[in-house]
Amino acid sequence: MTSAELLPGTLDVLILKAVSLGKLHGYGVLLRIEQISGGALLVQQGALYQALARLEHRGLIDSEWGTSENNRRAKFYRLTAAGRRTLGEETASWKRLSDAIGLALSAKPREA
Amino acid sequence: MFAELIARLRSLWRGVVRTRQVDAELNEEFRLHIDLRASDLVRAGMSPADAARKARAEFGSTEDQVEKARRARGLAWFDALRFSWLDVKLGGRMLIKYPVLTIVGGISMAFAIWVGAGTFEAIRQLVFPVIPLPESNRIVVMQNWDAAANRPEFRATHDFVVWREALQSVDDLGAYRTVTRNLMITGGLAEPVFTAEMTAAAFRVLRVPPLLGRAFVEVDERADAPVVAVIGYNLWQRRFQGDSGVIGRTVRITGVPATIVGVMPNGFAFPRTQELWVPLRIDVTGYDRRQGMTIQIVGRLAPGATLGQARVELTNLGRIAANDFPRTHEHLRPQLFTFAESVQVFGGPEEWTMLLTGNVFVLMLLVLVCANVGLLMFARAATRETEIVVRSALGASRRRIVMQLFAEALVLGTVAALVGLTAAGAGMRWALDLMRGELTDGSGNFPFWVDGKLSPLTFFYTVLLTLLAAGIAGVLPGLKITRNLGDRLKRATAGGGGTQFGGLWTAVIVLQLAVTMGFPVVTFFVRKDAVKIETYPLPFPVDQYLSVRLEMERFAVEPGADTSVAAFQARYLAAAQELESRLEADPAVAGVVFGERLPRQYHPNNQVEVDEGAVTPHDERGHVVASTSVDTKYLDVLGVSMLSGRWFNSGEVGPDARVAVVNKAFVDRVLGGKNPIGRRIRYPWRGQSPETLPWYEIIGVAPDMGTISGWGPAGIYHPLVRKGMYPLNVAVHVRGDPNAFAPRLRALAADADVTLRLAELMPLRNVVNAEVAFHEFWVKMTTIVSAMVLVLSLVAIYAVMSFAVSRRTREIGVRVALGATPRRIIGAVFAQPLRQLGMGLLAGALLVWVLLGGVDSAPTANQFLILGGYTALMMAVCMIACVVPTRRALAVQPTEALRDT
Repeated sequence: MTSAELLPGTLDVLILKAVSLGKLHGYGVLLRIEQISGGALLVQQGALYQALARLEHRGLIDSEWGTSENNRRAKFYRLTAAGRRTLGEETASWKRLSDAIGLALSAKPREA
Repeated sequence: MFAELIARLRSLWRGVVRTRQVDAELNEEFRLHIDLRASDLVRAGMSPADAARKARAEFGSTEDQVEKARRARGLAWFDALRFSWLDVKLGGRMLIKYPVLTIVGGISMAFAIWVGAGTFEAIRQLVFPVIPLPESNRIVVMQNWDAAANRPEFRATHDFVVWREALQSVDDLGAYRTVTRNLMITGGLAEPVFTAEMTAAAFRVLRVPPLLGRAFVEVDERADAPVVAVIGYNLWQRRFQGDSGVIGRTVRITGVPATIVGVMPNGFAFPRTQELWVPLRIDVTGYDRRQGMTIQIVGRLAPGATLGQARVELTNLGRIAANDFPRTHEHLRPQLFTFAESVQVFGGPEEWTMLLTGNVFVLMLLVLVCANVGLLMFARAATRETEIVVRSALGASRRRIVMQLFAEALVLGTVAALVGLTAAGAGMRWALDLMRGELTDGSGNFPFWVDGKLSPLTFFYTVLLTLLAAGIAGVLPGLKITRNLGDRLKRATAGGGGTQFGGLWTAVIVLQLAVTMGFPVVTFFVRKDAVKIETYPLPFPVDQYLSVRLEMERFAVEPGADTSVAAFQARYLAAAQELESRLEADPAVAGVVFGERLPRQYHPNNQVEVDEGAVTPHDERGHVVASTSVDTKYLDVLGVSMLSGRWFNSGEVGPDARVAVVNKAFVDRVLGGKNPIGRRIRYPWRGQSPETLPWYEIIGVAPDMGTISGWGPAGIYHPLVRKGMYPLNVAVHVRGDPNAFAPRLRALAADADVTLRLAELMPLRNVVNAEVAFHEFWVKMTTIVSAMVLVLSLVAIYAVMSFAVSRRTREIGVRVALGATPRRIIGAVFAQPLRQLGMGLLAGALLVWVLLGGVDSAPTANQFLILGGYTALMMAVCMIACVVPTRRALAVQPTEALRDT
């Protein structure tokens, strides 16, 4: 499976999904997205922290300092209640869109 | 939604207040990220060094990431305004590196800030006085407004008694009235003192405890109580030498013995400039409403009560009174203000317009001066173009470069603001001193709330001014110099003269020239006017005369005295004549004369109509001249002879005398030098039909003797009818030093009548009316301001023009190398500065023309000459500014010029 660039606007929802599975530091978010997409989605490192700052600014994720796997001080992000709500809405909307696109793309000539 | 708002605000707050911490945390996060990535790469088989390098390369610039993260937090606007300590340090270094610019720019900005802060403070003190009394915003004054006559009605003793009982929202209602009293201390001479008669409650309202002794109590207000007095701090120091045993001493206040019971602390002068307080005794029996003495009513809002509630309550009381006493109160509307509102000097819309204009003028001056400094800064920045282009190439954003220039201007501006504020602090006292005559009430003191100190509000305003100044002087040139930096970088023309003065700067230079020309010209005309008044020659030895105004208290303290107008006039006239005969009997006196006004005093002015032969007046106001009435012996006592015709004789003194003597200036101005004897004049009054107005026959021409009215020296004399004239001014011709005779005059006056007050007793030489004093103040101010503007502008014009020419050194070298003659080159180089100069002078001439529109007479040949010389000076400065760098450029070897290209 080849890896693909993210569609614009999808990074935020992927980050929300990643931190919904447990609190993560920035690099952990990157790895988790790669992992849960089966390595199919590559996150631009340059865009990650901007997105994290944006989500924190909007109150969708929260952060606290803890210790990383290599025993260093690390900032961990976790989902807030508002973030959980947004994730639910975004997931549903994404599903509708993806179903619609899937349906459209699977159309056969005689159905047109 | 709410949670999101809170989160946003918290994030913003952190980003603004804890900028450093937030940035440090981000960097820590990035380091961890890069290290973890490198570890993963090592595990995948890469060497540690390669792994570290790859991890860093993948991550990109951390600085860039920090900036993006901050932007994501909505902090872009904050970052745009932020500049670092380094910028400030660099700014400071630039100040030292370019001392000329620092000094010229600093002085310019300091000057603009001085004028700005000083004007603002003066306006604040006059328009928004801060009353230095405890909780002064709760002190209120009340008065009746006569809606029919459209004026206040101060005869309100009956209302005062009613309001005192009825008002719930105002505590402690007191009353006062201001008078002047002769204070006589045992063994000393009587001296008129600004006095307030005040109730005990009024003292309580003010909440200022006495320094010594006590204030009044209700018992003091009873008619049968012994008279007591409270004195002010300055009076205590001046007349009692600060004696702590002053309490209990007996003095005479307009002849009546009184015991001093208290001394008020320094700075207390309620209601304005008063230094002596005696109990106000209000007895409303024996006279009707709207009769009796005039009083002012003061109170303090009850705890919890608002101004609005008090107004409603008072209005209701007014309605009840109008209902109960329609004859007197039908048109009376009670009003209530805070004390601060009641003492505003400038409150009307006209004054506001005037003040606004004043402030706009000051702001224009600031903008102009700062644009000037901006020009200099731009010139300096242009010489640093290479540095700026290189910084830009190294990744500095345009914003950073502009902010650095702003920081430099701000450092300069801050230093300038400190200087300017210090000057404004000193200047306030100076300006107040100069305006003493204009704004004080004759006591020579300012109202107690005017202190000449700068308020916190003015400091805040100065901060704004400084930011504005730094913005104009730093940001504008910064924006200009950093425009199209990218293009210049690509063309690699750094330092190649890519920066040119554009249209904006041409406009600034033209404006600068215009104002530089207009400002001093106006000053010159104003000054000429003032000099005329100051050096107004008097045709008699003015140094030998004393001048004094005779006053008397109508409501004598003695109970039972007749206070009717007729009785008062008779008493006053008798006292004045008694003083006159005592003076004439004194061997040191050569002569005494009474007049409505004396030479050099401000004279009332009137429009005057001549039966025939008058020249056409300048405008629809007609001929306005000073007029006064004086004793028949006026000329004899002053020792002046008539120029033609005759003076009044004693048979012409009376209400029906229809004669007038005019002065030389009147003949010149109104009649164009024609013989006035036998002509008739009259004073047209608005709203009166001319037929009913009396004509006065001109019987003689006197020399000009200081009939100053603000309309020039033209004046008319009428015979004085002493009876009914109040107050009378007296000129005493003294043998010897007039100052030395002053105590003797006081003693003679006390002998003549103890209730007679001598106001403004001074040598006639020192009589300078308020008009002249204010004029002098205005002249001094405009002279200083224009001189500063002139010098600064010339320096800036020189700097900018010479800079603009020196920027073209290489171009000139190349032209010379290509065979151009010096004449052609000079023509080409001078074309633009000459164009700017021409436009500037033209605009300046227009400005002068507009500004002088209000001046009566057309400029004389002499004035034109001065204007011409002045224009020549400005042209010379501009020419020298062009010539010096052009000569230098022409001396450059063409080979050098070509090599540098």
